Amino acid sequence: MGRSIPLVEKEFVAGFRQQTEWAGLIASAFFFGKVGSGLFIMSVFLQSRLGMLIGLLIVLCGKGGAHMLYLGRPLRFWRAMSRPGSSWVSRGIWAMSLMLAAGFIAISLPPGSPLFMPLAIFAVICAFVVAVYDGFLLTSSPAIPIWNTALMPVMCMFYALLGGTTMVLFLKHLGFIQLSGKFTALLPSVEITLLVVNLLIVLLFLVGSINTGSAGRESFDLLVKGPYAVPFFALVIGVGLVFTLLMSFVAGPRAGAGTVALITVADLIGHYFIFFLLLKVGVFKPVLGFLKI
Amino acid sequence: MRLGMVIDLKRCVGCQACTVACKAENGTSPGIMYTKVLDQVSGTYPNVRKQFVPVLCNHCRNAPCERVCPTGATHKREDGIVLVDHDKCIGCRACYVACPYNNRIFLKRGKLKEGYYGKKMTPYERAKYPEHQDGIVEKCKFCSHRIDEGLTETSCVQTCPADARIFGNLDDPESKVSRLIRSRGGRQALCEDDTDPSVYYLD
Amino acid sequence: MKQSEMVAQKDYWAKSACKMCIHSCAIRAHVVDGVVVKIEGDPDNPSNRGKLCPKGQAGIHRLYDPHRVKTPLRRTNPEKGIGVDPKWEPISWDEALDTVAEKLKAIREDDPRKLLPAINDFHRIHIWGWGAAFGTPHYFSTVGQYCGAAYHPLNGILDGSFAAINDYNHCKYWIQIGAGDGFSSHLHVAASIKRMADARVERGMKLVVVEPRMSAGAAKADEWLPVRPGTDRAFVLGMVYVLLHEQNVYDAGFMRKHTNGIYLVAPDGNLFRNAETAKPMVWDSAGNTAREYDTEGLNLEDVALEGVYTIEGVEYRPAFQEVKDSLKDHTPERMAEICSIPAETIRRIATEFGEAACIDSTIKINGKEYPYRPAAVNFYRGAIGHFDGGLDSAAMKLINLVIGNIDVPGGHIGVGLDHRLLILKEGKDGMIEPQPHLLHPAYEFAEKPYSYQLMEWYPIGIDPGHLIAENVLNPEKYGFDFQPEALIIEHSNPMWNLSATNKVIEVFKKLKFIVAIDIVLNESTDWADIVLPDLSYLESHLLVCIEPPMVTGHVYRRPVIEPLYDGRDATDILTELAKRIGFLPEWNGLLNFTMFLSEENHLDPDTPYSSLELTDRMAKSIYGQDKGLEWFQEHGHTTRDQTPEEMYLPYAKLGQRIPLYFNFIKEVGDDMAEKMKTAGVEWDTSAYLPVPVWRDHHPLHNTPPEYDLYAFAFKEAQANFSESTTLPWIDEVVSCQPMHLGVMINSKTARNKGIKTGDILKIESPFGEITGRATVGEEVHPECIAISNTISRWSQHPVGKKQRSTHFNKLLPADVKWTCGMTGHLETTARVKLSVISE
Ligand SMILES: Nc1nc2c(c(=O)[nH]1)N[C@H]1C(S)=C(S)[C@@H](COP(=O)(O)OP(=O)(O)OC[C@H]3O[C@@H](n4cnc5c(=O)[nH]c(N)nc54)[C@H](O)[C@@H]3O)O[C@H]1N2
Ligand SMILES: Nc1nc2c(c(=O)[nH]1)N[C@H]1C(S)=C(S)[C@@H](COP(=O)(O)OP(=O)(O)OC[C@H]3O[C@@H](n4cnc5c(=O)[nH]c(N)nc54)[C@H](O)[C@@H]3O)O[C@H]1N2
Ligand code: SF4
Ligand code: SF4
Ligand code: SF4
Ligand code: SF4
Ligand code: SF4
Ligand SMILES: [Mo]
Repeated sequence: MGRSIPLVEKEFVAGFRQQTEWAGLIASAFFFGKVGSGLFIMSVFLQSRLGMLIGLLIVLCGKGGAHMLYLGRPLRFWRAMSRPGSSWVSRGIWAMSLMLAAGFIAISLPPGSPLFMPLAIFAVICAFVVAVYDGFLLTSSPAIPIWNTALMPVMCMFYALLGGTTMVLFLKHLGFIQLSGKFTALLPSVEITLLVVNLLIVLLFLVGSINTGSAGRESFDLLVKGPYAVPFFALVIGVGLVFTLLMSFVAGPRAGAGTVALITVADLIGHYFIFFLLLKVGVFKPVLGFLKI
Repeated sequence: MRLGMVIDLKRCVGCQACTVACKAENGTSPGIMYTKVLDQVSGTYPNVRKQFVPVLCNHCRNAPCERVCPTGATHKREDGIVLVDHDKCIGCRACYVACPYNNRIFLKRGKLKEGYYGKKMTPYERAKYPEHQDGIVEKCKFCSHRIDEGLTETSCVQTCPADARIFGNLDDPESKVSRLIRSRGGRQALCEDDTDPSVYYLD
Repeated sequence: MKQSEMVAQKDYWAKSACKMCIHSCAIRAHVVDGVVVKIEGDPDNPSNRGKLCPKGQAGIHRLYDPHRVKTPLRRTNPEKGIGVDPKWEPISWDEALDTVAEKLKAIREDDPRKLLPAINDFHRIHIWGWGAAFGTPHYFSTVGQYCGAAYHPLNGILDGSFAAINDYNHCKYWIQIGAGDGFSSHLHVAASIKRMADARVERGMKLVVVEPRMSAGAAKADEWLPVRPGTDRAFVLGMVYVLLHEQNVYDAGFMRKHTNGIYLVAPDGNLFRNAETAKPMVWDSAGNTAREYDTEGLNLEDVALEGVYTIEGVEYRPAFQEVKDSLKDHTPERMAEICSIPAETIRRIATEFGEAACIDSTIKINGKEYPYRPAAVNFYRGAIGHFDGGLDSAAMKLINLVIGNIDVPGGHIGVGLDHRLLILKEGKDGMIEPQPHLLHPAYEFAEKPYSYQLMEWYPIGIDPGHLIAENVLNPEKYGFDFQPEALIIEHSNPMWNLSATNKVIEVFKKLKFIVAIDIVLNESTDWADIVLPDLSYLESHLLVCIEPPMVTGHVYRRPVIEPLYDGRDATDILTELAKRIGFLPEWNGLLNFTMFLSEENHLDPDTPYSSLELTDRMAKSIYGQDKGLEWFQEHGHTTRDQTPEEMYLPYAKLGQRIPLYFNFIKEVGDDMAEKMKTAGVEWDTSAYLPVPVWRDHHPLHNTPPEYDLYAFAFKEAQANFSESTTLPWIDEVVSCQPMHLGVMINSKTARNKGIKTGDILKIESPFGEITGRATVGEEVHPECIAISNTISRWSQHPVGKKQRSTHFNKLLPADVKWTCGMTGHLETTARVKLSVISE
């Protein structure tokens, strides 16, 4: 009979160990990366230069800043571009740099410049990579089973789109950007659709992670039963998805700027915390699993 | 040549001499341990089994830490030793979350300003700390500096009173490590992750 | 290489000897630019072969510990107490020595017995007698009563050894009872771990570990038998019963040839002697008559081991029969009740043991044939550290004697205290001379005791230093008409190491003057008035040789660097003090003896000798005039494997027998009873038994039932007692190990009492109380709690200082009632009750 494997911290005991290095700042970088690139993508699509600019700034300052704060040796950050062939961190940095470069050039072009669209589209492609690469980054690591699932990049992409859409709605309602009528009509339903899809993806992700082996199961338990269950259900599911969905349905953008702001904040809270919590519950497998009695 | 280690779980008595020998050899700062010996207990009294499991970097042939490293700081030598180039590492810790064995350790910024007895460092610490940098990731080096000096044993192997750790060339079928792996059925940890560790366990 | 040449180099490896525990591993230190950057085992030494334990590895931290005593210190705060800052002030050596000499000289002139010495540097046993040379008989520390008082004398009585170990090279079935040999402690840890691992893994030796706690050894054993503390004797005697009464398995040949098992015993328990020659008699069944044991032409095959023989109306029986009869009610069923190991397990282990012994088989080693008995019981502190520990030891010897494995290949091998190996002398009755005192000569009996530890009343034991506190605090009980005034401490921590800590603290409070020779301050030296800095082991010269099993020889400790501070070698300090106080001749006379100095190297009584000079003379005396210090500086050590001739059947070479029946113990006891009767002292001599039996009146097991658990202390390879926790590397390691994080409690017991890991407990014994954090798990007997030494410190040293001191010794008694009547061993297990203070 084997006793259940313990979850350990610094004790010299074989067991599951939570990863402790990737937390707040990495979650912030993920968050700003997705919200910023989502906003950028949507803004190119909606042809809002201000939206593009804000998206770029969120990526530059939010994501870039979080990374710089996080790095142990920030002055050497440029070295991180050395290995795009194998490293998703390298790829992400390349994508981010190219997105920023192309994006900033594009918006600084005079209106009607023929270069605008090609550059913007290139930047959108890069932004797309920025939005999803962290999903691949997490998936590509065999060490932490709950991260190591195919849904991770998909989830990243949809959260980016959701974040972008929310931000666009928000900016529009505060009067920062103008949208044509058909988009104004379309956006709320896009938002609702994305919220439903994200909710489904999160649920699918949870169901899937039960079967990612014992360490994945440990992560799952931490997330839904353990110390992280309250923030997870309250902030990620409750505030981030269910509350936003209800508000969008019941009140919607017609209810005015205040409501939109509330929805936006709720959405961003959910967005930040899902990745923060998923990082937190990352659990390594026990090194030797084979002591039998 | 592929250097590797065999850990005989039958021999290991959990004395932690290896843990301390590694600290002494490498002069690591407080809290940093490249190797340690874990207890593994199963069963309920009186039917209890306890095993001591020494862990250290496996110097994986197919090392995820190397794959994910964006700077190339993590690299593999000809002899299979996986090392971190202190001057290249940026402290992004991608390798930390990629190592299935949780063997990578981040040295926080400022960590080298204090020794075990506070700000005033001992002569030993003053001699050893310059070998380190803060803000980067460290791990077991298979005592590459010893190997480069022509020694045949790492410090933890050198001291192990039980001879539970054995070091040698995995590519040489006649080396002690290869023979032990064959005769006793050496196992790699978490082999399902396809990392192909150079550390084998005998049980 | 000469010292000066060596240290002049920029980068070198210096050979020396470790002193991070009692043992003596050979080391080499790597020195770069004058800084020790690494310590490794000396690969040329056949004992530890380059290997070190974690404490040895951590020696760098001891050397460079900023909290080392760097100059002589004087206390400026007259108030003393736990946690009170002494407000040390550095002073010069002259001032320090003057002060100490003046105080001690006055005491010596008044009454030397007013000085309590606590000198128990295990590497410098030659200085233990400083107090005796001064003129005081006390030993206010633990030099045996916590570990070996009930052990060493029994070894010495059996075969002139100091300790014993099973034959690592040939044993196939090893039962280990309450000892860390080959895993974590006792004889030469760093060297023995490999011997044990080879035996287990290379030779497939079966290992059974009897322990109330899953120690490192128990974890590696083929079988762990959790035992109720203080009942190991019952387990072993149950096995003896199975072998003798159920299976008839014993080594008759060995008993006839090498033991007194054939000597006839009279109904009063004494040997039956020839009325004229006083020689012991045996029963010649061929001639159907009793004869002197050494009768010419007597065929040993014909000598009876069993039976009852009536001579002139009196019944005599061979000692073996006497042993057997004494144990006829020690059935496994009854013993199982006592020790909690099931009867069928006792039976099975006894059967396996008897079979593994291969009785009657022989082995050829280096062309010589020896008996081959590859089964043996090894034991130490855990098994015998109890009231009646002498009988515990005797029982463990008996189970080995039954299968005839004493000092034969595969069996139970005597180990010397030093290079002399066993002290074998012809004794009376054709038996080797019993050596119950290898540490110092016996104290002469006195009706009124003169030593606070009552050494004169424990003729077989080793100084029961724990009795001092009780006798100082209650002098009227045995009529002590003087009170101690001063204490000298060298490499000792009596406040920590003695039992009944609260009483020890009371004694400390009474003392007017305390001087300590130390390198880092501890619980005791924190109370000193003057502290004199010793040199650390990496800065001093010595020849060391501590109980190394299987090998013999000395390792040369040499300074690997120049001393860092203004310290002086403890031996030099004591010599200087002897000179200033005025007993240099007595001191030199003692050193002649304790350093084995040969005639030509004898000391001039009035000349003070440096430790360097003494070491040189000692080396020459032992190894020849050409092998002085210089030789050792070149070669490092004289360690070599013991030869089979040295190890096996040494008593037989002398033509002497060893006891199966401990008539010597009985004789000493009868003599004591007689003397105490005359003296009019009420004194229990009932433990002086010639055959070990279980005795129900054990105070531990008769503690009121509200104290429903047993508590005991333990160490593992990481800990030297507890003092190594001031080494950051060790502290760091033990702070991550569950067994060192709190008081170990079995999960079932914890559940019943509503205790969870992390709860803060109050632990009360009839003698004291402590608090501790609970660590709940499976690795301990459900009737026990186990307390690691590593959580027991409270000294001012900042490293390893735990939030709470869970000092086990506060739970222990320290009086005669709780002391082994035969050997002076303290009961080291306590009965306790628990309550949860906070969660
Ligand atoms: N690492 C290390 N080695 C040392 C020392 C050291 O401090 N550290 N000190 C040296 C000295 S001076 C000594 S005396 C020896 C001591 O050497 P050992 O006697 O080997 O060591 P201990 O850990 O003190 O006690 C042995 C074991 O007894 C168990 N025990 C407690 N009570 C009982 C009992 O009633 N029955 C049984 N069967 N077991 C019991 C404990 O769990 C413990 O594991 O070691 C010497 N070697
Ligand atoms: N609770 C509990 N109590 C025990 C034991 C136990 O296991 N548990 N074990 C018992 C046993 S078996 C024994 S033998 C005793 C041992 O008890 P002690 O003999 O008191 O213990 P040591 O560890 O030898 O160290 C005593 C002190 O010597 C000092 N010291 C260290 N190095 C040097 C040096 O180089 N020079 C000088 N001058 N001083 C130095 C340190 O301050 C250290 O605290 O304890 C006994 N008491
Ligand atoms: S030194 Fe050897 S025996 Fe000790 S814990 Fe390490 S591997 Fe095990
Ligand atoms: S054990 Fe971890 S750190 Fe070492 S090579 Fe493998 S993946 Fe890299
Ligand atoms: S922390 Fe250093 S070694 Fe690790 S992945 Fe980043 S750059 Fe490479
Ligand atoms: S090989 Fe060297 S660096 Fe690695 S754990 Fe052993 S001693 Fe430490
Ligand atoms: S066993 Fe004792 S002498 Fe040997 S290395 Fe360990 S501490 Fe040093
Ligand atoms: Mo001891």
